[in-house]
Amino acid sequence: MQRRGRVHKMVQLSDFLVVSALLFAISIAGIFLNRKNMIIILMSIELMLLAVNINFIAFSHFSGDMAGQVFVFFILTVAAAEAAIGLAILMVLFRNRGTINVQEIDEMKG
Amino acid sequence: MSFSLATPEIFLLSATCFILLLDVFLKDKFRSIGYWASLLALGVTLVLTYQSWTEAKALAFNGMFVHDTLSVVLKMAVLSIVTAIFVYSKPYLIDRKIFKGEFYSISLFATLGMMVMISANTLLMLYMGLELLSLSMYALVAFNRDNGRCTEAAMKYFVLGAIASGMLLYGMSLLYGLSGSIELSSIAEYVANQKIMSSVALLFALTFIIVGLGFKFGVAPFHMWVPDVYQGAPTPVTMMLASAPKIAVFAMTMRLLVGGMEFGSEGWQQMLIPLIVMSMVIGNIAAIAQTNLKRMLAYSTISHMGFVLLGFVSASEGGYSAAMYYAITYAITALGGFAILIALSHEDGDAEELDDLRGLSRRHPWYAFMMMLFLFSMAGVPPLVGFFAKLYILQAVVSAGFVWLAVIAVLMSVVGAFYYLRAIKLMYFDKPIDERSISMSISFNALLSVNGLLVVALGLTPSLMALCLIAIKQSI
Amino acid sequence: MGFEQIIFYLFATALIMSAVSVVTVRNPVLAALFLIAAFFSSSAIWIMLEAEFLGVVLVLVYVGAVMVLFLFVIMMLDINTDLLREGFMRYLPIGLLIAVVIAAEMILVMMSKVFDKPIPAPLPANHSNTEALGEVLYTQYVYPFEIAAVILLVAIVAAIVLAHRKRPINTKSQKPGEQVRVKSSDRLRIIKMDAEKRAGS
Repeated sequence: MQRRGRVHKMVQLSDFLVVSALLFAISIAGIFLNRKNMIIILMSIELMLLAVNINFIAFSHFSGDMAGQVFVFFILTVAAAEAAIGLAILMVLFRNRGTINVQEIDEMKG
Repeated sequence: MSFSLATPEIFLLSATCFILLLDVFLKDKFRSIGYWASLLALGVTLVLTYQSWTEAKALAFNGMFVHDTLSVVLKMAVLSIVTAIFVYSKPYLIDRKIFKGEFYSISLFATLGMMVMISANTLLMLYMGLELLSLSMYALVAFNRDNGRCTEAAMKYFVLGAIASGMLLYGMSLLYGLSGSIELSSIAEYVANQKIMSSVALLFALTFIIVGLGFKFGVAPFHMWVPDVYQGAPTPVTMMLASAPKIAVFAMTMRLLVGGMEFGSEGWQQMLIPLIVMSMVIGNIAAIAQTNLKRMLAYSTISHMGFVLLGFVSASEGGYSAAMYYAITYAITALGGFAILIALSHEDGDAEELDDLRGLSRRHPWYAFMMMLFLFSMAGVPPLVGFFAKLYILQAVVSAGFVWLAVIAVLMSVVGAFYYLRAIKLMYFDKPIDERSISMSISFNALLSVNGLLVVALGLTPSLMALCLIAIKQSI
Repeated sequence: MGFEQIIFYLFATALIMSAVSVVTVRNPVLAALFLIAAFFSSSAIWIMLEAEFLGVVLVLVYVGAVMVLFLFVIMMLDINTDLLREGFMRYLPIGLLIAVVIAAEMILVMMSKVFDKPIPAPLPANHSNTEALGEVLYTQYVYPFEIAAVILLVAIVAAIVLAHRKRPINTKSQKPGEQVRVKSSDRLRIIKMDAEKRAGS
């Protein structure tokens, strides 16, 4: 909190951005580590969007502009739709293969 | 508010909702009414778009929607291509028993998404259009839901597409934070007042945006989904993936990089160059190793998208219009190539191996000739359209001073010519494995012939290139 | 440290810890529950940023609908978690390395001077965030609002096309129409017969 000799008693914009950056890095690591587990990958994608949303809201608050909040409103809508389609594809995959492990059923090389 | 500028979109949305409802009440016997209604809807939208032709730029919906020559030309290209896809895919869908109304309504929603992207004037609308397109495409890839390969391809496409959207959004959020606006014109103003190479935060935002765009374009090193999805998806959907969305992503790149960050071109040129070189090398060399025709075309798409991005590197009007010309003509050529694959498919399996092409000249000389035209055009053989597309791009790149990039592009095109020629050799000089005769409907054959004619004529007449140049000049 | 900072660090720590748990726990149900915890903490952070409506929506829509959907799917699919964890330990070192590098780079950029903005004065107590959002949503942003509706429609159609199956023909089901229309005479037949003597009495 020590920046340019001043002690801030309030939460700074960069504090929010750092939290969001950490969240983003965790979600990337989550996708990388759980390559076989589709359901955790879907959750990591939700975390990634959460990081983006924190960014937008923080910027919106610190610049006093509503556009960022409106953007988050739409991201939430789209992400809900995305989750529905993703889970539907996952269910169909499970029905066809009896597993959600993508590497195991890798019929296609590459 | 001038809603009237968005008349084509409004009509398409209403018509799609009507078709969605109509299909519920149709018995299986009359399923093709939905097909004809979709064609009619696309046709009327095309006419409405043509009528809205302007020489002036106009905004609607509080600056969310931009209407200019660029948007009119690109929308007309997308609408015509989707119409052609519907005609081409009908026999395939009937054979596979997936001739359902939802195929058409979801495809029409995807078309609407592309139109929204093309006319986007804010970061928000670019994102909304992109997601409308992507969500529809995920569903279409998985459309043949009882086929394990389709669903696996859909899962991969979904995961990588969602990650790409996340990356793009993170970049957009930083861009919003820096410039304080989601409007592309305000962002352009902000970027103009910055020195891009010394603004770390701006470069950081740009990196995320380029990674996101790279995924959506399917250029190396973000190409891993392309071959699997092309191979796994039903052929009509592969045809769709390879054609119209590329034009929409071109429009997105145009709006985002050129419209929003033209003064940062120094920054994105540097980032695009490695992607382009990698795409050309990986795309062309990996394509040689493929025995599966769909995978081969997938790798060839990767290298062609490298060419489209190459047009952006020159950061000049000539380069952008060459990239636009390339995206449109490549979409038309790919359409024809995949149409031949549909013609060769039969009820008990898709034609997707290179071996399926063997002896095509004896089974159906006209199809073999058409396929030869499409493959020669992709290889860049004069006087076909692919040659001129490559020529315009290379001219722009050389005049911008990137001679070494042009040399790599030419070298890699020569490497690429090998696998196209190999496919042509199989069609003309080998004996067919499968002796069955091929017969398609008159509308399919007529459209294919028109498609072949376009591949020849668009190169010989300079009108499309002139149109692209006008559109780009007017939109900047 | 001010009171606001204490609150912020409390929720930020909770958010990061639960996010780490989401990607590392063995059991997908636990992962979903940790994701819910992450949503709760971040909704508190959003409320600190005076985005009350979105904070509430995150809990109602995300936790209430999307996460429940996730849990439904996890319960419906019989997932073998041991199999899915294969390779987790093998990738862990390099995964950690990547995460640390990305995080370090991002944090460096986020701490740069560009993002050093003055703290805005708090909005008056009677300011309604919902009203402010609603006002722009239905005027200035009506076009994306309509497109969002289309996206939701696509999601509905796509999910039904992919996941809905017609029941096999021989399944037994209730037919309420016929049940209502039934008359007592269809069910009970009254017949006349002579009384019978019990044998042996």
